[in-house]
Amino acid sequence: MPATDVDFEREFEELVRDLRALPTAAPEQVREHVRLLGEPARARTLRDVLPALSWRRSLLVLAPVCVLGLVSAALIHGLVSTGGSQNQTLVHGSAGTTQHLGSAQDNAGGGSESGATVTTPWSARTSVPTPTPGRFQDYEASLTVRVKDVDTLHERTAEATQVARSYGGFVASVDESTNGGGGQSDLVLRIPVASVQDAYFRLAKLGTVTAQHLSIRDLDQVVKNQRRRIVQLKLSIARIGQALESTSLPADVRLRLELQRDAAKQELARVTGSNKATLREASLSRISLTLTAQQAAAAKKGGMGRIERAARDAASFLAGAGAVLLFLLIVLSPLIALAVAGFWGTRAYRRREERRLLSAA
Amino acid sequence: MRVVNAVTTSWPVLRFERPTFAAVAETELDAVHRYLLFLTGNRSVAEDLTGETFEKAFRVWRRFDPRRGTARAWLCGIARTTALDHFRSEERRRRREERYVRDLPETEDVAFEPGPLEVALGLLSAAEREVVALRVLLELDGPTAARVLGISTTACSTRLSRALKRLEELMKDARD
Repeated sequence: MPATDVDFEREFEELVRDLRALPTAAPEQVREHVRLLGEPARARTLRDVLPALSWRRSLLVLAPVCVLGLVSAALIHGLVSTGGSQNQTLVHGSAGTTQHLGSAQDNAGGGSESGATVTTPWSARTSVPTPTPGRFQDYEASLTVRVKDVDTLHERTAEATQVARSYGGFVASVDESTNGGGGQSDLVLRIPVASVQDAYFRLAKLGTVTAQHLSIRDLDQVVKNQRRRIVQLKLSIARIGQALESTSLPADVRLRLELQRDAAKQELARVTGSNKATLREASLSRISLTLTAQQAAAAKKGGMGRIERAARDAASFLAGAGAVLLFLLIVLSPLIALAVAGFWGTRAYRRREERRLLSAA
Repeated sequence: MRVVNAVTTSWPVLRFERPTFAAVAETELDAVHRYLLFLTGNRSVAEDLTGETFEKAFRVWRRFDPRRGTARAWLCGIARTTALDHFRSEERRRRREERYVRDLPETEDVAFEPGPLEVALGLLSAAEREVVALRVLLELDGPTAARVLGISTTACSTRLSRALKRLEELMKDARD
């Protein structure tokens, strides 16, 4: 049984007394040597104080601090992101107009596919780009407009149809759906390019614009190329026809010319069709209008809460942080295992060495 | 027990009483010497190591934190490391000498005057003598002594018990 403070004093009373009576005082020369050392001059610094915390104690302090910090960060993230979500919608709503402008205005001979992106705030909608008169351009716009409720959604859908018709256009497609307190109408309107700006503004006034996108693609060069090709093909067909009128042509040459004429006619039909389609595109703009009625849902979402959403965001933040920690743990675990093994190995070696030295002493 | 002079740390946030080195040295010198005498079993070596221990303590005095333990335990830790370093260098020296000089008589400066207890102490291992010194002579409590020795409290108690029993038996044999 191990000896405790009390029982070794009692059990080995005589022995302890004898041991304590042994003359073991330090000799005077050692005492003098130590006295000569005096007092260390340097005052304690913060660095001297810091190691006073053992690693166990530091870990006990640091671990809850880290957890607390992480939870606080998650809460702040949750609150900030929920507070910012409304702003985000507004920013999105007023995010402005992205215009893919054709290069034709500045570069008439340039490729029609090239363009520039210009973003303007929604407040500057009076400066919505208009198609250039006298040029063939593909004008596409998409507009998302929020309306008050489902009843208003029906009314505004009908109004949008009327707007398209009033400018001599038509509705290419309508897709209206309602769900509970919300609903959405997706319309594709084809409106003559000459009236697109007016129509656009009228459509924008149907509610609150939350997003818009404008794209103008110059087709002038495409039309010119197509027309040039048509003329070439017609000339080619005429020349072949003239050659075929000659009666002295050998049979094989005649056959080859007839095949060339047929191919040229087919090509002419195809290019003419493309040209018509391009002209049709250039004459009618395409406006994709999305009308949404989300007020009830939005109110519910806003009511449901900030706290709930903040909690959800905070939880997802924590989950993300947990995933990162797990990843780091997986990646670093071999190193940690090596470090721990090294630490314990060194310690065991040191102890064994001490035992050996003490037994040999 | 002598009253130890104390100073207050220069850190206002960390105000605690801290003894001066000189005061600690004056108070603990005998204890450290006693411990080293038991550990080495050699008086002159113990004297040298005592001086060395206090020189080391002087150099690292700023690291001493009275909140973490007594000055005696701190000094014993330094003394032990110093003694182990000494044993290590002695072992190297012996090995080196054995390579060139054979059968050289060892000069022994025994720690204690001849008597049954002294003889018995001489027969104990250094590990046994040091635990006896720490617990019986220096009167360190179990956990503190265990910390100085780098072992568990239970192992320390067991070692002490065995050492004292063995010492008693050796003394009986010496008397007989």
